[in-house]
Amino acid sequence: MTESEAAEPRMITVVLVDDHAMFRTGVRAELGSSVDVVGEAADTQEAVRVVLETRPDVVLLDVHLPGGGGAEVLRHVLPAAQDVKFLALSVSDAAEDVIGTIRAGARGYVTKSITGEDLVAAIKRVADGDAVFSPRLAGFVLDAFAGSEPPSVDDDLDRLTQREREVLRLIARGYAYKEIAKELFISVKTVETHVSAVLRKLQLSNRYELTRWATDRRLV
Amino acid sequence: MIVGGLVAFLVAQGQLEATLDALLGVLVVVAGLALILGPWLWRLWRDLESERRALIVSQERADVAAHLHDSVLQTLALIQKHANDPREVVRLARSQERDLRGWLYDDLADDASLFAAALKKAAAEVEDAHGIPVDVVTVGDTAIDERTRALLKAAREAAVNAAKHSGADKVDIFAEVEGEEVELFVRDRGAGFDPESVPDDRLGVRRSIIGRMERHGGSAEIRSTPSEGTEVRLSTRRPR
Repeated sequence: MTESEAAEPRMITVVLVDDHAMFRTGVRAELGSSVDVVGEAADTQEAVRVVLETRPDVVLLDVHLPGGGGAEVLRHVLPAAQDVKFLALSVSDAAEDVIGTIRAGARGYVTKSITGEDLVAAIKRVADGDAVFSPRLAGFVLDAFAGSEPPSVDDDLDRLTQREREVLRLIARGYAYKEIAKELFISVKTVETHVSAVLRKLQLSNRYELTRWATDRRLV
Repeated sequence: MIVGGLVAFLVAQGQLEATLDALLGVLVVVAGLALILGPWLWRLWRDLESERRALIVSQERADVAAHLHDSVLQTLALIQKHANDPREVVRLARSQERDLRGWLYDDLADDASLFAAALKKAAAEVEDAHGIPVDVVTVGDTAIDERTRALLKAAREAAVNAAKHSGADKVDIFAEVEGEEVELFVRDRGAGFDPESVPDDRLGVRRSIIGRMERHGGSAEIRSTPSEGTEVRLSTRRPR
């Protein structure tokens, strides 16, 4: 990835994947001219094809799709195009959906009730390689990493640091990254680093709760 | 033992061989019958089974249709009626969404005897009464005792305050049960106020939130910045 140093930043390219045409239209309208929507897809197969053809910066991915679902799209696209970032968008609050999609490789998870403005911010954040957590996702992660230490205590992937916990708690309380930075006297960039670290643990940890959720969705 | 006894008896009687012959005959007849009737019985059983399954499916479908009729269709009708009252439309849509979600994803969440479920229920009531989304995120769960009940009531009051006075478009609630503590935050990004100069007519904050928490061995802290919003932090000891 070579980011051009040109003064005028290139517009972020986006592909919308959702089986409801009405929803795609709505999102397109909300995004307006802040990003460049280069493609749309309504099912798993079409999504894989369109994403590999257009190679967008970010894919807005519905979790439930005909033909396998969002995780299936991730499994097909990521090995062939690792630079494409996925942001999961769903109406579902079910833990296995959220955790499952993240573990399949999505960089963030937001619910469909998100405002247009927040969605644009989330897309930019994901395009920059950072992670985006909704309050609910932060809650799930705290839950999954709560309680007794796993047997393999020497594995850092299975634990959250004190700071990461603090950041997640603030996200769960409804704080934006900027507000978290102010609250903890750290920079926004540091908040982003913590969230990305949590994302990595979420994707790689073998904690029982996580593998269980993933197994339920046939993701391991 | 009985068979052994029988065999011993028959041997003693010198009739073992004859009996074995008879037994063999019976076996052959049974095998023949099984060959003839087996496929027919099997088909019959399969037909019954698939009929039973079809019945279950159709009953389930009827249940789904009935539920959708009672809930979603009624709400859509109401929404059309209130089309020029955005607040009411939001309220109806939210409450229907919540109902459908509960029905689709967690039938177990009805058990309001636990803290997290009771909190969600209280938030839903505030949502319905004031027409503003109240999002709840919980980590961990616990039983409800006198302390946590006071916490629930104070949280509800804080959410009502946010809904009524902040002017924010939603309220966030986060509750965490960790170790020996239950901690709860109610946050809005609304008008905010100066906690030191709460007008006398707004006794809710002092009496229903701070007073209640302190009376029940917990604590309450209110942070508010004009034009940035308000956050109420409540905490108490976890029930044993």
